[in-house]
Amino acid sequence: MTNHWNDLQYADALMVIGANPAENHPISFRWISKAKQKGAKLISVDPRYTRTSQMANIYGQLRSGTDIAFIGGMIHYALENDMYHKEYVAAYTNASFIVDEQYSFEDGIFNDYDETTRNYDKTKWAFKKDENGEIVKDPALKDPRCVFQLMKKHYARYDVDTVTGVTGTDKDTYLEICQTFTGTSETGKAGTILYAMGGTQHTVGTQNIRAYAILQLLLGNIGIAGGGVNALRGESNVQGSTDFGLLYHNVNGYMEVPTGSDQDSKYKGFLERITPESGYFSNKPKFYTSMLKAYYGNSATKQNEFGYHLMPKLTPGKDYSHMRLFDAMYRGELEGLIMFGTNPVVGGPNAGKEKEALSNLKWMVAVDLFETETSAFWQKEAGADPAAIQTEVIFLPACGSFEKEGSVTNSGRWMQYRWQAIKPKGESRADLEIVHMLARKLKGLYENSPKQQDMPMKALTWDYGESDHPDIDMVCREINGYDMKTKQQIKGFGDLKDDGSTCSGNWIYSGFYPESENLSKRRDNTNEGMSNFLNWSFAWPANRRILYNRASADLNGKAWSKDRIGIQWNAAEKKWSGFDVPDFVAAKGPDDPTFNDPFIMMAGGKGALFSGGVNEGPFPEHYEPYENPISNAFSSIQLNPAVKFGEKEMNAQGDVSEYPIVATTYRVSEHWQSGAMTRNIPWLAELMPHMYIEISEELAQEKGISSKDRVIVKTARGEIEAFAMITKRFKPYKLKDKTIHQIGMPWHFGYKGIATGATANRLTPHIGDANTTIPEYKAFLCDVRRAK
Amino acid sequence: MADYIKFVDVTKCDGCRACMVACKNWNDLPAEPEDFNGSIQSHRDLTANTWNVITFNEHETSDGNFEWLFRHMSCLHCNQAACEKACPESAISYTKFNSVVIDAEKCVGCGYCVQNCSFGVVQLATYKDKNGSEYRKAQKCTLCTDRLEQGLQPACVVACHTDCLIYEEKDLVLAEANKRLGEVKERFPNANIYNPQGIEGTNTIYLLADKPSVYGLPENPKVALSQVVWKDYAQPLGKMMLGATTMAVIGAAISNAVRKDRPEGDHDHE
Amino acid sequence: MELNVTRRKFLKISGAVAATLAVVELGFDDKTARAKAKELKISELKPTPTICPYCSVGCGILVYSNGKDVVYTEGDPDHPINEGSLCSKGTTVRQVYTTEKRITNPLYRAPGSGKWEEVDWDFALDKVAKNIKDTRDRTFVQKENGYTVNKTEAIAYMGGAALDNEETYLLSKLFRAGLGLTYIEHQARI
Repeated sequence: MTNHWNDLQYADALMVIGANPAENHPISFRWISKAKQKGAKLISVDPRYTRTSQMANIYGQLRSGTDIAFIGGMIHYALENDMYHKEYVAAYTNASFIVDEQYSFEDGIFNDYDETTRNYDKTKWAFKKDENGEIVKDPALKDPRCVFQLMKKHYARYDVDTVTGVTGTDKDTYLEICQTFTGTSETGKAGTILYAMGGTQHTVGTQNIRAYAILQLLLGNIGIAGGGVNALRGESNVQGSTDFGLLYHNVNGYMEVPTGSDQDSKYKGFLERITPESGYFSNKPKFYTSMLKAYYGNSATKQNEFGYHLMPKLTPGKDYSHMRLFDAMYRGELEGLIMFGTNPVVGGPNAGKEKEALSNLKWMVAVDLFETETSAFWQKEAGADPAAIQTEVIFLPACGSFEKEGSVTNSGRWMQYRWQAIKPKGESRADLEIVHMLARKLKGLYENSPKQQDMPMKALTWDYGESDHPDIDMVCREINGYDMKTKQQIKGFGDLKDDGSTCSGNWIYSGFYPESENLSKRRDNTNEGMSNFLNWSFAWPANRRILYNRASADLNGKAWSKDRIGIQWNAAEKKWSGFDVPDFVAAKGPDDPTFNDPFIMMAGGKGALFSGGVNEGPFPEHYEPYENPISNAFSSIQLNPAVKFGEKEMNAQGDVSEYPIVATTYRVSEHWQSGAMTRNIPWLAELMPHMYIEISEELAQEKGISSKDRVIVKTARGEIEAFAMITKRFKPYKLKDKTIHQIGMPWHFGYKGIATGATANRLTPHIGDANTTIPEYKAFLCDVRRAK
Repeated sequence: MADYIKFVDVTKCDGCRACMVACKNWNDLPAEPEDFNGSIQSHRDLTANTWNVITFNEHETSDGNFEWLFRHMSCLHCNQAACEKACPESAISYTKFNSVVIDAEKCVGCGYCVQNCSFGVVQLATYKDKNGSEYRKAQKCTLCTDRLEQGLQPACVVACHTDCLIYEEKDLVLAEANKRLGEVKERFPNANIYNPQGIEGTNTIYLLADKPSVYGLPENPKVALSQVVWKDYAQPLGKMMLGATTMAVIGAAISNAVRKDRPEGDHDHE
Repeated sequence: MELNVTRRKFLKISGAVAATLAVVELGFDDKTARAKAKELKISELKPTPTICPYCSVGCGILVYSNGKDVVYTEGDPDHPINEGSLCSKGTTVRQVYTTEKRITNPLYRAPGSGKWEEVDWDFALDKVAKNIKDTRDRTFVQKENGYTVNKTEAIAYMGGAALDNEETYLLSKLFRAGLGLTYIEHQARI
């Protein structure tokens, strides 16, 4: 989230698209309700009518996988009807930048596309520069080659009839949504977009989110209270686990993992590659070196490039993401799998195949509170022949969140501490203890090794106490960072050095633990203004609650709205101040040429309407899902041209002739993710005990299905059986040329636990977004029939 | 002393069902999953171990609009409570908090309260004693009277995040209910405040988005005069003359004869 | 008068005693409450604040434990996000502890076996460490295309979205910076 949960109350309009907060983030409705009580309009855009839709003022139905058409039409509407924030767009975004001559777009394809590799040459999406290397701009936004005009041209094709013919939205409703939400472009108004996996789990997931961001920049809604592009993250610490580098492509704090390449063969060259000329990431060498010092301590010296060579290097161009990991497992390339609280046999795409892949492992370690479908994949119950599976499995019982202590980071980036309420149940142990004991054992095994390849394990510092129970305070201090000589905690990432004199495990968190105290433990709930609760816990970065909050003020540094004060320029004191920690250099005044560059993480300091960083193009363009029921109305290109295909056997594709019905998956209030926890909680299993398929009355009638019947849903990957829930909340889509049915189902179920049921992900495709490779769980084709 | 009552503004409910499990958590009630019933509603009716249930109703309004109506269904704590009137053992009483509670010590499990409740709230639970023989007790929501005694709000109210459930001073609640009624009328023309006067009002009042019958609620529940006569006159007199058990039998005959006007099978569980 | 609903508010009902159920070290005073709230199942118990383990709203929860069991859990009325309220999942976190489905001993499944065996921690961790070392040492790649790469691509790490920050920090430190894994993934991807 750019903003945070309490901030939702300040919105004038809230558009929920690709999310269902009433069900999946229920307490958000405490604040959404407050906004509504003050007159805000809540818009729910979803393939089916959800509990969120019932709470909304306007519900718009859209076919799964058509967000870009939907939002593209809103961008078109905003530009055609002058419903955008002109001052904000001209000053704070790259609307005025002139794009160089190479840029073009024709029939669904941008310039410099290589069909064989399915890659674009992104360097060819650049801005025109003058002789001094400065970007050429047209502040009047009239130049036909400026971003604003190119964007206008791009979305001119997204007229209301074409859009609703693709999305299946009722036209009047669509126009009402456009009018209501773009109304927040008025100076002083605020609109927010809330999204979750309904936005990201598509082959065009990244561009879906880009589309939301572009719309919000046009409406002047970023950086202000009640605004923002707000990802409603699904797990209690998925924010933290992402911040802490548990993805193949990032180390801590969103920095790059080095590759085995010429450029990266020296630390210096690597840093040159990853460090931009301007923006906050120009400090990357300080952050990276401090992280290496936290990892390797005194073994990281200037002479050995701070231990850079001890770090593993990715093969250039190789994708190690979830689906490719399972592809590799399927091919037998992996021997071991270590899992801490994850259950891909229920949660992974094409889960039946992912389960098959597991039996190619030599060994598996599962750390969890409950016996999961994944840890038990070898059992008869799982449909397996145990004798034929040679995988050695070790299950380590973890304890629950209040049986230990530590912090989690919520969607609003608040790092909140949890205290221990009771000893771990039985012989279960905290994950911290488990990784600590394991690390100590492994370090012991490598202690006397003379081999060069064991140097990383030998150099790795592990100074968290000598007992089995680690000293968590030492871990916290290392994450924050300290001066290597004085051991004094550093005050914030501004103090980090690239000469090895400081360490910091994760630069974005540095500042949470200054010498005085661990700020994540703070519990002062005084609201000192705009419900930012600056003395409650700690928010990264630097305790900022709303990102890009410089944009909450106008070109003179004055709040756009007196009701929504973020930070303002205080001329008398010559600094920025207000109700938040400035996301800006506090002393940067109007005399500074970058005074109006609020987006400090972006090179150039401007919000990116045009972006050269996304794999399938500078502007989001609608393509149909991998499995789709109609031809693309916007171009002859059916599928996102930058999407990659993995292992063929993992990725069967269904055709509309055989699978004419669109399907999607979702979550419900009463269960959580793969259900590994909630299906073992008696009171939750009671609230939602059965797996079901939601089917419209119209489709049920066509198929001769009655309420409570057992039905079979089949896709190119497999089939599952579940109860039929006939509902008025799904309606067929009237598209331009035909009527399409859609069904939906929760993906929480599996065969373990108290509440059991068929696993929806046996149906989902093994293909994902062109940038993130997040699987396309949310739109695929199926057929449905009554079970005999 | 201010009178407090519980207010259920169903138009604010987002169906999260925290109130259901908050009740179970406070009162240590066991889970009792039911068979699939065609909707996401977890229980068809209140039971002796499930004291509140969110009902889910897919409703097409008279003007053709679709509304997915949620309602927190639990004991209304009637001012004139049929269960209290029907109980031959005087096991049911009103507390100083206006809640209607069952004294488990006194309850003999005869079930007249179950038969007489206008709202299907009271239910019998079966237990086993040390010797393995079964006995029954009537069970229902207590309005968390044990919490009220400590100045704490009912567990369901504390859990509710949209303020659909509130427990407040009666005058404030009634004013709020009227204000909310005005606010929701545009979207819900049939909205109404449910506080049936035939039973002298209830200590849980509702703002309903549609007519009571849409929610399976009786439009105008009453306690029959014969029941009042039974409880307030015949029973004390009879107890003096006949003894309790005989009175229970007579009581059953009367209450069956005067059964409340709760419509049968009107619960809509879509 | 405006209706101002707060979960922290105590009722001014005659006969009711204002009880303060809160945490001493963290700025509350529950001493009077404990003296007065004798009948309640949570009297005498000092609640411990935690954050909900499910979604990322980050609601505060108070856990009432008697040292042997978790007796009750309720929304933290002082938490600025949820102000005492919770959803159905947050309301039932007590059963994360009390459910009989919890696995409370390390388990081992031998290759080809049809069942789990209960083992002790030493056995289990020795196995894990041995497997990791064995696979890593055999599959370790020091050089690839002439460049130093120091990695193993035969072991994968997955998961972590429900763990604490400190845990995720140690996990990526051990598995990436120590053991040299490149296949490191978690739920943010799926």
